Amino acid sequence: MQMNTRSTYIKLIRKNFFSNKLDSLISTVLIIFIVWSLLKITSWMIFVANWSVVSNNLSLFTFGSYPRLEYWRPTLWLIILIFLTLITLFWSKKGILRKYIPIAWIGMIPIGLILIGGGLGLTPIHSRQWGGLTLTLILTILASVISFPLGIVLALGRQSKIDVIHKACRIYIEVMRAVPLIAVLFFGQLLIPLFLPVGLEISRVLRAILSFSLFVAAYIAEDLRGGLQAIPKTQKEAASVLGFSPIQTMQLIVLPQAIRTAIPSLTNQVIGLLQNTSLMAILGLIELLGISRSLLANPNYIGLYMEVYVWLAFLYWAVCTIMALLSRHLEKQLTYGRG
Amino acid sequence: MKRSKDFIIQIATYIILIGLFSIFANNLTVNLTRNNMLINFDWLKSPAGFAMAESALPFKPSDSYLWAIIIGWLNSLKVIFSGLILATLLGLVTGVSRTSKNILLRTLSSTYIGLIRQVPLLLQLFFWYFVGFLSLSNSSISLLGSLVSISNHGIQILGINLSAEFSALLIGLTVFTGASIAEVIRGGINSVPMGQWEAFRSLGISEIMGISKVIVPQALPAILPGLTSQYLNLAKNSTLAIAVGYSDIYAISDTSITQTGRAIEGFFILMVSFLLLNLLITEIMELINKLILNSN
Repeated sequence: MQMNTRSTYIKLIRKNFFSNKLDSLISTVLIIFIVWSLLKITSWMIFVANWSVVSNNLSLFTFGSYPRLEYWRPTLWLIILIFLTLITLFWSKKGILRKYIPIAWIGMIPIGLILIGGGLGLTPIHSRQWGGLTLTLILTILASVISFPLGIVLALGRQSKIDVIHKACRIYIEVMRAVPLIAVLFFGQLLIPLFLPVGLEISRVLRAILSFSLFVAAYIAEDLRGGLQAIPKTQKEAASVLGFSPIQTMQLIVLPQAIRTAIPSLTNQVIGLLQNTSLMAILGLIELLGISRSLLANPNYIGLYMEVYVWLAFLYWAVCTIMALLSRHLEKQLTYGRG
Repeated sequence: MKRSKDFIIQIATYIILIGLFSIFANNLTVNLTRNNMLINFDWLKSPAGFAMAESALPFKPSDSYLWAIIIGWLNSLKVIFSGLILATLLGLVTGVSRTSKNILLRTLSSTYIGLIRQVPLLLQLFFWYFVGFLSLSNSSISLLGSLVSISNHGIQILGINLSAEFSALLIGLTVFTGASIAEVIRGGINSVPMGQWEAFRSLGISEIMGISKVIVPQALPAILPGLTSQYLNLAKNSTLAIAVGYSDIYAISDTSITQTGRAIEGFFILMVSFLLLNLLITEIMELINKLILNSN
C-alpha cells in the first residue's frame, strides 16, 4: 500500500516536472532559483531587516498626523469596517443580516466622515491633518461613490440619440482616458480653484477626491457601455410592449443588468483607484505612501527603504485582496439572486 | 411629436452646456485677471532656466521652454518604446508559462502576476530606484563577463550608458506592464480550442514550435486589442517618471508650470501631447493588425 502511494507520487512528480529533457532542465533551474530566493528572503526578513521602523510607527502608518488624542475616532471606523467585511464574507447567508448589509456599507460613508472630520459634538479635524491608511481609504471610498453615478450618466449620455449629448459625453470620456492620471491630479489641484467663484475655496483632499472622481467616471462609463451593449435589444422591445416608459425601462430593466454584467470590471476600477491614491504622495498628501516618504526622510530611519516598501507592499496587497474577495462575493450574490 | 420633443431636449442641452461653460469661463477669467495671467503662449519662447540630467539632443538652461518640452517628448518616447518592447517580451514568456504543463513554471508566473498587480506602480518605482539602484555602491557589479555592469549610476551595456533614473523607470514599467500583458496573452491562448493543441501534439510537432507556429497566430486576433490598451497604459504610466527624477514630458511640463504659473496652457499642451501619443500607438497597432490579417 505504502509502496503504491509512493510510486504514484514519483509518477506524478515525473509527469509534472520531468516529462522530457527540456522540462527537466526548466524544473531543475526553477527549483534551484525558488529555493535560493526563498532562503534569501527569509534570512533577510529574520536576521537583516530592521523592523523597528514599522513597529515604532504603526500609528503614523494608520493615522498620519491626525491628533493623537482623537485616534479613537478613525480606529473605531476602521474596526467597524473590518467587522463589516468579516460579516459580509462569512455570515451574510443569515436572513436578517443579509438585508441590512448593503445599508450598513452605505452608512459607513457618513459615519466615517463624521467620526474623522468631526461634527455632531465631535471636535472638527481639518482634512489636512488626515493621513495614512485612513486617508487612503477615505480617498478610495469617496471617489468611487462620487464617480459611480457620474459614470452612469456619462455611459447613458454616450448612448443618447441626441447628437450634442452623445458628442459631449464621448469627447469627455475619450479625453479623460487619454490623459495620464498624475496630470489630472496635478491640474485638479491647480485648476479647480480657478474655475470656482472667487472666495470659494476647497481643501487639498477634496480637490483630490474630485479629480479622482472625474477621472474614474470616464473609465466606469466605458465599462458600463460594455454592459449596456451586452443587453439584447429584444428586452427593450418587450418592456415597451408591456407599457414601460423609456425611463422605467432604463431604470428597472436595462441598467440593473448592465451594472451586474460590469461588476468584475467595476471592482477592478475600485482596486485600481486604491492603488492610484498613492499618486497623491507626489502631490503632497500624506496618505499611506506619502507618510512613508516623510518617515524615510527622518534621520533615525535613513536607508531603511526595503523594510518600509515591503511593509507597504504587504498592506496594499492585503487591502486589494480583501476588496477582490468582497467583489467576488458580490458577484456570487447577484447571480444567486438571478436564480 | 417625438421629433419635436427631441429637438426641445437638444436645444435645452445646448443652453445648459453653454450656460455651464460660460459660468466656468467667467470664473476663470475673473481668477486669471486677478492674478494677471490671461492665457497666452509667449512664455514658450523665453529661456527655461533649468538644467536637465539627460537629454537626447543638446539642452542648456538658456534654451527656451518650447525646446525643453520637445526634449521631454523625446525622453518620453525613449522610455515608452523601449518599455513596450521589453514588456511584450516579458509578458509573452510569462503568459506562455502560465499555460505550461510544468506546475513550477505555472505557479511561479502566476505568483509574479498576482503580486505585481496588487501593489501600486509608484511604490514599485520607488523600490527599483531607491533599493535597486541608489542603495548600490559606486563600484559596479559586473554580469556576463563585464558586458553589463550595474552601479548606483545606472546600467552600462556594451558601452551604452543608461542612467539610474531611466533604468529604474524602464524596469518598473516593464515588470508592471509585463504582468498585465501576460494576462492578455494567456486569455488569447486560452481562446484557441484545445483541439488545435492536440492536433499539433499528435503530429509530433515540438511544444515550442507548436505554440509559435500554430497557437500564437490563431490567438493574435484576440490578443491585439488587449495589447493595445496595455501599451496605452504603459505610455500614460510613464509619466510617473517624475517620482524618480527622470525628465519626461510630464516632469518638464510640471517644472515649467511651477516656474511660470501657466497651468491652463500647460494642461492644454500635455493633453494634446497625450492625444497625439495615443493616436500614434493606436495607429501603429492598427497597422500591425492589418498586416497580420493579410498574412493569415
